[in-house]
Amino acid sequence: MHAAARSLALILAMALLLLAPIPAGAQLRSVELYAPRPFGHVIGDRLTLSADIVLDVPFQLDPASLPRARPLNYWLELTDVRLTDRGTSGDAQRYALNLTYQIFYAPLEPKRLDIPPLQLLATDGERRVEFVVPGWSFLTSPLREIVSTEQGAAMALRPDAPPPPIPVSGTLRGLLFSLGCVLAALVVLAWHVGWGPFAQRRGRPFARAARAVRAALPSPKTAPSSPAYRQALLSLHRAFDATAGKGVFAEDLPGFFSAHPGFVLVETEIRRLFAASRRLFFGDDLVAATQELPPAELIALAGRLKAVERGGR
Amino acid sequence: MTPGIRRGRFILLAAGALLAVSLCAVGFFAVRLVLDRRANGEIAALAAGHDVVVATDARPERLFARLVFLTTRDRFDEAQPLMNRIASSAAPRLAAAAFYDLANARLRVALSHLESNEIDPAVPLVRLAKEGYRRALTLDPGFWDAKYNLDIAMRLVRDFPQIETSGEEIPPEAAKRLWIDLPGVPRGLP
Repeated sequence: MHAAARSLALILAMALLLLAPIPAGAQLRSVELYAPRPFGHVIGDRLTLSADIVLDVPFQLDPASLPRARPLNYWLELTDVRLTDRGTSGDAQRYALNLTYQIFYAPLEPKRLDIPPLQLLATDGERRVEFVVPGWSFLTSPLREIVSTEQGAAMALRPDAPPPPIPVSGTLRGLLFSLGCVLAALVVLAWHVGWGPFAQRRGRPFARAARAVRAALPSPKTAPSSPAYRQALLSLHRAFDATAGKGVFAEDLPGFFSAHPGFVLVETEIRRLFAASRRLFFGDDLVAATQELPPAELIALAGRLKAVERGGR
Repeated sequence: MTPGIRRGRFILLAAGALLAVSLCAVGFFAVRLVLDRRANGEIAALAAGHDVVVATDARPERLFARLVFLTTRDRFDEAQPLMNRIASSAAPRLAAAAFYDLANARLRVALSHLESNEIDPAVPLVRLAKEGYRRALTLDPGFWDAKYNLDIAMRLVRDFPQIETSGEEIPPEAAKRLWIDLPGVPRGLP
């Protein structure tokens, strides 16, 4: 409240005039007091006064002269004292002093109250200079009528604060979040190890075969060497064997397709692959084999087989 | 092949670590939730008027519920230690509400004394209530209900600068005046 409606109740203390006997040299340049609005404060309010203090450079504010937080009188309590060193600029040493007061005065009508001035000390090591942060006055306002005109009890208290339950929403959120983490970790583990719905992923022989084919035929445009092409075909056949769980030959293909209907999509290419293998492995005819299934198409076929295996097209 | 294996092992380790940590967190939150639910059951039971005993090292919310149970039954001597415990826990809002409720209960008792013209037992209760409201307002300066009730208490027994500032020592002339003003003191024989 005080901070928001801070109006500048600026009292440029020509504090030098108030000071104890000091030489004409101005050790204290200025004390400016910034205060909240000077009216409309009620019992229990907190007021923050801030004072900008400017000293000449060798002088420093003596922290021991600051008041400590304490009740000042029966209605006024100093609750917080905070000194900020704003550093030096030129030959001026600046301080910001924040004083927080709490008032406990129950006025019957708007009443002017005074916050007393504050005596502080500045020192340069040898000389000590006293100066004053000026006091301040403000109007307090009452909360109630002097004589109640309200129906019913004149001394009706405000109701009790009901005991609140322990808030559990934060714990609940934490529980849900950690359950989510458990689930995520389990999904990652299952995917990685190949449990449950990820069982198909186990091994993924065609994925491995596709990698091996690409490794064996690094330049599909040029005619491949016999061992490389042989190697590529072999790795694809191993993938078929691993997928079917037994050796797959051209005669077994109808059985393979009925067991793994996904592969029907690429049936013609698969048949060409088996034809090429027959040429190469049994006829030892690399040229005929590469005519049947050129290396580029072999790589493309490996990619499609991998996609079918993954459950794609 | 090797980077693949390394990556696989890394995923395995990371997922395992995440699983372990989040399982611990699940356990922690689940236990806390169960305990909090049980405590909230106790708080509701106290609010419904069942005499549930609360351990002195319980959470401040439970202490507060017990405190309200005791204060609404005018058991201030049992309530005060709970109040001290709540005040020392780090929950300023709750402590302010507890100070306020205890002060309200004391002020209500004082008012009922005053209605039957019993001044002497009322005065210390009003003083304690004022102190309670002040503590509540120190913790929460925006506590309007506390301001209002403190205003009521202040008008019942007003603060005076002499009483508050002189403290222990009463100046001799004041003591003399006090003595003379007391009714029923013999002023010497005729």
